Parts: sequence; structure tokens; C-alpha cells
Amino acid sequence: MATQTVTGQETAVTQRRISILSGKRGRNFREVVLAYLLLLPAFAIIFTFGIFPLAFSVYQSTLKGLNKIVGTYDGLGNYTKAIGNLAYVLGFWLAIIFLFLAVNAAIKGWRTVRKYGDKPWLLALPGFSIAASFGLLLRFIFLFLPEALGIGDKIRAATQGGAEETSAELFKQFLGEVWDIPLIQQAFWLTIGVLVIGLILTYVFSRNHDPRRGEYLSAFIQIGVYLLGGIFLSWYTLTQVQAAYAAAFEDGETLEIWAQVITISAGFVLLLFSWMIWRSASHQDSTKSTLLRLAAGSILIIGAWLLIGELPAAAADGDKDWYQGLLNTVYYSIGSIPFQFAISLMLATFLFQDIKGKGLFRVLFFLPYVTPAVGAAASFRILFSGRVDAPINRIITSLGFEPLGWLNESAGIFQLIAGESLKLPTWATGPSLSLVVVIIFGVWTFIGFNTVIFLAGLGAIPNELYEAASIDGGGRWAQFRHITLPLLSPTLYFLTLYAVIGTFKAFNHIYVLRTSAALGTTDTASLVIFDAMKRDTRYGYAAALAVLLLIIVMGLTVINNRVASKRVFYG
Amino acid sequence: MANIPVTNSVSEKRPHPKTRHVDIGRIVIYIILIIGGLISITPFLFSISVSLMNLTEATGRAILPASPQWGNYVEAWEEANFGLYFWNSIKIALISVTGQVIFCIGAAYAFARMQFPGKDFLFTLLLSTLILPEAVTWVPNFITIVWLDRITPLQWINNWPALTIPFMASAFSILLLRQFFQQIPGELWDSAQIDGAGHMRYLIQIVIPLSRAALVTVILFSFIGSWNSLAWPILVTQTPDWRPISYGLLTFLDEAGSLAHLRMAGAVITILPLIIVYFFTQKEFTEGIATSGLKG
Repeated sequence: MATQTVTGQETAVTQRRISILSGKRGRNFREVVLAYLLLLPAFAIIFTFGIFPLAFSVYQSTLKGLNKIVGTYDGLGNYTKAIGNLAYVLGFWLAIIFLFLAVNAAIKGWRTVRKYGDKPWLLALPGFSIAASFGLLLRFIFLFLPEALGIGDKIRAATQGGAEETSAELFKQFLGEVWDIPLIQQAFWLTIGVLVIGLILTYVFSRNHDPRRGEYLSAFIQIGVYLLGGIFLSWYTLTQVQAAYAAAFEDGETLEIWAQVITISAGFVLLLFSWMIWRSASHQDSTKSTLLRLAAGSILIIGAWLLIGELPAAAADGDKDWYQGLLNTVYYSIGSIPFQFAISLMLATFLFQDIKGKGLFRVLFFLPYVTPAVGAAASFRILFSGRVDAPINRIITSLGFEPLGWLNESAGIFQLIAGESLKLPTWATGPSLSLVVVIIFGVWTFIGFNTVIFLAGLGAIPNELYEAASIDGGGRWAQFRHITLPLLSPTLYFLTLYAVIGTFKAFNHIYVLRTSAALGTTDTASLVIFDAMKRDTRYGYAAALAVLLLIIVMGLTVINNRVASKRVFYG
Repeated sequence: MANIPVTNSVSEKRPHPKTRHVDIGRIVIYIILIIGGLISITPFLFSISVSLMNLTEATGRAILPASPQWGNYVEAWEEANFGLYFWNSIKIALISVTGQVIFCIGAAYAFARMQFPGKDFLFTLLLSTLILPEAVTWVPNFITIVWLDRITPLQWINNWPALTIPFMASAFSILLLRQFFQQIPGELWDSAQIDGAGHMRYLIQIVIPLSRAALVTVILFSFIGSWNSLAWPILVTQTPDWRPISYGLLTFLDEAGSLAHLRMAGAVITILPLIIVYFFTQKEFTEGIATSGLKG
């Protein structure tokens, strides 16, 4: 509504000037201004410390150096250090995903065009210009950032050298110097110029009152941004691969990057393909579907075989600590989330009955969630200490078991169960016992939180459904299975997303519970990043790890959303 | 909204054919709930018990102290500089919570009740920051803070700005408040408009007083967050001057080494304020969480 009135179809300029201050139009205008003013402080902070850091991380991850804020440029060096040649594979796949998104947006736009018979083609000009200006803006940021960061050092040097100006004056002076660099000025004006052209073209071409022009414009902007991202990423990865080959040629070595990229990509494509066949099989009649499923299965095997054969080789040069960190994160989520959910769902269904002292139980269950993690972990450190006389060890010895190493134990639990006589391969040993203690802490913390949310979800289920079910003779379990679970699925979806992201965020208790004897088997991805930054002061490398973590989290969120859109039942 | 009294009466209305047999089931339910409750508080009871032991009891792993040694708390308090850390944490929490409440109320109200261009885009942007792990922002934010420290007259590192300003707005709080604000009936806004109230007056005089539970939740959440924060303070404080209590306790845990009773006394000192705050606000708090959690 406000959009229409502000950019709306005014007739005379004088009239508009009056109307801005009075009447319905004026009220809307004032509302827009007030809304922006209300949003400004929160968004200034969230943008500076929550959104801009993403671009900043990407920039920082291309630099290397110890304890250097602006290190030396190293291309994808940090990434290859972290995950080996897989970095190149990842680069190409991100490029492909961008291109796929562009195609997707184009198809969606094309469908709307066909449906309404519109002719929005001229809107491509402003759309692409705006998209280009976004790209140019990123270019400007990456050119400007190192220079701007250098200002801090210059000011410190100047004040230590006895400069008389205040830091504000110095800042102005040094900023002026940065501004005088021709490349930065050019980049700035180019960005502004293209953006202004885009906006003017938008204004010119959106004068025909097509009701869907906003939709088309945003479609063109999306296509442009994705195309640009995809083309840039593939070009950048390509040059990086060529540089790696050139360097290897000089050293007289041979590389297999291309072979790895192709084989691994082929493997992934085959996996995707087999999944698509499998899905389409369910719409066919039985013989056809069996055949299709057989085909899907064999394609799956070939794809998996390619991946198993090539992935370890491509990843071999990566950082062992990082892989261990990722594996620990996976163990941590698989080990904690199902238990959390099962226990808290049980507690919630119990609490939902007509129970005395409901409030008290809720308070007790919730207590771990509000406890400062460092304080609670301090007592876990004593409870689960590896000493023979530690409380937990005393309990299990009194039950007739051998005392365990707990937080000091680096061996995997399956290895401990199997005993020393049977030597399990490394991949089968499972999470270390010390990681299990970390998992127990996580479960203990989050049960109360989940229970409260499950309780709210249960409260939202209309009681008539249960009445109808019990009239139809449905038992308690049937009621739970066919009414409670489906109607709880939105809550479950929210909690799963929250819990999965929570495992990537987990830091405090692990930092307190980690021991040197556990040999890093408790350190999840966050802790590896923290060590790279704080202990090793390799900011560029830590940023690269952070970007990889971000890619993983984003991938998981997309998958979670996809699954949820099919499985979640919004009654 | 999760309204417990309502669900109470609801489950009473549902007669179960096997009411006689349920008694055993109920006992099992109570036993499980009690065990769950005990497990939830065991670490606290353990900390309190150990914190009141003398050295021989603590190293000998006794279960209960023979006579409570309240002096342990004094010793831990003085030895670890807990007074300073405690005061630091309170200051940090007050500054960031105040900022967060003011800024987030404004933003949440704008999203809940106002129309402006770019609303959907900004809201999606806000939502997308929710999935961001803190680890992703450490490096860039640290560099930004160091930079701000150098270019502005304000000292950022080792001082309150680095510890509070980045946390003065959170997407989570904005979403939670927006959720609450949207549930306030539209008729109230209509009648406020008829009485000649603008957005600001409506927000301050009607919306805020009606959103007590949500505000308590936001305040408690940001208070817990600030009291709990560990990674970021480790990165931006090199001296104890502004070191918050979690970090203080962590350094004390290493210093106190094998003195378990002092370590536990320190842990109890750290935990207790939050527990007390929670007990006073738990009703609004659980209600607020339940409302926000239900709809994501």
C-alpha cells in the first residue's frame, strides 16, 4: 500500500508536496519514515555484526598470515589447506548451484509470462543493471576493505609517533588518502553509476501499470545476481586450478585436480539422478516401478563407488583437526538430538496429563537451560572426571563395572564396548567417551527447553480429535501415533532446525569440558575455528573454516526446509 | 498460546475407559517425572554440597559435608576476584539488555504493525541471520572491533563497547516480540487511532504494557546470553578489567586446580544469580518461549 502511494501515480508536483504532509497519503509517508527510524538502530547493529561479516569472512579467507589483520593474498590456499583439492570441487559445485538458481528463477518467470501473456522483456535492462551494481558493490567492498582496514594501523602508528591530531582528524585525513587512490574512486562511481542507471530504467519501464512488474523486476534481478555469481565463481575456481597446475609443473609434480573434479562431480550427478528415478518410480505401475528402482539402485552403486574411490584422495591433503571437528559435530548432533527429542516428548506427554505439581516439574526440567554453561560444566568436570574415585566412576564400580576414563578417554565408545582384543578400524570406533560426556551435557541442558515447547504444541491440538479417536476405539498409542505426532510436526520441525543449528553453535560447555587427554576428540567445528583464531592467530584460515561451516549450515537448512515442506502437516 | 489451566480442564473432560487401571500407570508417570527432575538438579546439588566441604572431604570425594564450610565462598570470592567479575557481568548485562529491549521493540513493532517498502526483504534478511553460527562472525567481528578501537576515540577492546554493542540487537528477540505484537487484536489499534493516538503512543501506552510475558522472555534470554557468553569475551578482553563472570570462572577453574571445593563455590556463585532471576520470572518466561516456539 505504502509503496503505491509513495512512488504512486501523482498528477501535479504541487499537489504532491501538500499531500506528503497531510491526509491519508501524508500519514502513510510518515508511517514509512517512522518505520525506518524504528528499524535503523537494530538493523545497523545486525548488519554490522551479523550480515556484513559474511562478506568480510569471504574476503578474509583469501588471505594468509600469522596475527595479521590484512594478510597476503593466497587465493583458495586456505581452503585447500582445510579440505584439500575438495576445495576446487566445492568451488565448481557452488558455481553450478548459482547457475541452477538462475535457471530456476528464469523458468519461474517464464511460467508467469506464459500464464498472463505479459511482455516484461524491457524490464530485463533495469533488472540486470541493478544485479550488476550489486556485483560492482562487492568489487568495491573488496577493493576498499584492505585500504580501510589499514587506516587503523596508520592511526595507531601516528599517535604512537606523537601526532597531535585527534583520532577523528587522523581518520579523516587517512580516509582522504584512501579515497585518492584512483581505482577505488573508479570502482565507487562505477557502482553508483550503474545503480542509478538501473533505478532510472526501472522508473522509465515500470510506467505501464502492469500489476506484476515488481515480480518480473525481482525475477530479473535474481537471474542477474545468480548468473553473475555462478560465472564469477567458475571463472575464479578455473584460474585457481590453472595456477595450481602451473605451480606443480614448476616443481616437477603432477596433479589430478581435473580428474578428481570430474569424477566426484560425476558421482554426485549419478546420486542425484538415481534419487530422481527412485522418486518417479512411485508413480508407475508395479513392474515398471520395480525396474526403475533396480536401475536407480545400480546407478546409486556406481555413483557411490566413484565417490568412495575419489573423495578420500581429493580430501587427503586437508586439515586432520578440521575433519575431526566436523566428524565430532556430526557425532554430537546424532548423539544428542534423538535422545533429547525422545525424552522430552515423553516428559511432555506425561506432564500434559492431569498431574499434580506440574508447575514444579516444569521449573525443574527447565533449570539446566538457564544455568550458565561454564558453572554447570564445572560440576560435570568433577562428576565425570577420569579419576577412579570420581562420583560417576564410584557409582559404576559399586555396580560391579570397571571405572572408565570419561572426560580423559579419547578412545571411541564402540572400541571400548568391543574390548581391547578386537581392534576396530578407525572409522568404526564411534565418538570418544569424552564426547559422550559432552553429548550427555547437551541432552541434559536442552531437555527442559524442548519439553516446554512440546507442551505448547500439545496444548494447541484440539481435544475433539482425541474424543473422536477414543469413540472410534483408538487406543493411547494409536492416538499418539495418528493424532499427536502429525499435529506436532510443525513443532518438531522447528525444534529439529533449532537443535541442528544449536549443535553447530555449541561452544561453552565443550570449551570447559575439553581435556588435553581427550586428544581433540571433543572439539566440534566451532572449537577448531576458535583455536585457529585465538591460539594460532591465523585469521584468514579461521575465516575460511567459518565459510565452510556456513556453507554446511546453509545446505542443511535447505535440506531441512525441503523435507519439512513435504512431511510437515500444518493442520 | 500454551495455557495450562485450559489443558487441565480439557484432559479432565476426556474420560478414559480404563480409569481404574490408570493408577499404576500414574505411579509410573510420577516416578519417571521425579527421576527426570532429580537428574535435572543433581549437578546443582552436587556443586552446592562440594562447595561446602573442607579440603579433605572434597579430595576424599565425600557425599555430604560434615559441617558446612561457608568460608569457602568467601575464599573463592576473594581469591578469584569474583567481586570484579560479578560487577562486570552485571554492567555488561544491563547495558546490552537495555539496548536490546529498546532497539528490538522498535524493530519488532515496525515489522508487526507498519507498512513500508522493503519489509519482506528486510524480514527475510533478519530470518536468515538466525541460522548463522556464532563462529562465522568471530574473525570479521574481531577485526571490525580492533579497527573501531583504533579509529574512534572510544576504547573498544578490553572495554564495554566490544562486549555489549554487537549484542544490542538480536534477530531472535525481534521475531519473538513481533510474534507477540501481532497477536494483539487489531481493534485496539483502530480505537487508539480514533482517540487520535499515533504509532509511538500506541506502542508505548498499549502494546508494551500488554506484552509483559514477551518482554520478560526477551530480557531473561538476553540476560542469560550475556551472563553465559564466553568465546567473545575471551577474544576481546585481555585484562580482567571488564572480564565477565563466565570467563572469570573459567580462569579460576584452572587456577584452583585440585581445590574442588573452591571451584564448586565459584560455580555456585556464577549460577545462583540466574537461578534466582529465573525463579521470579519463570511463569512469564515459559509462556513467552512456548509462544515463540510454536510458530517458529
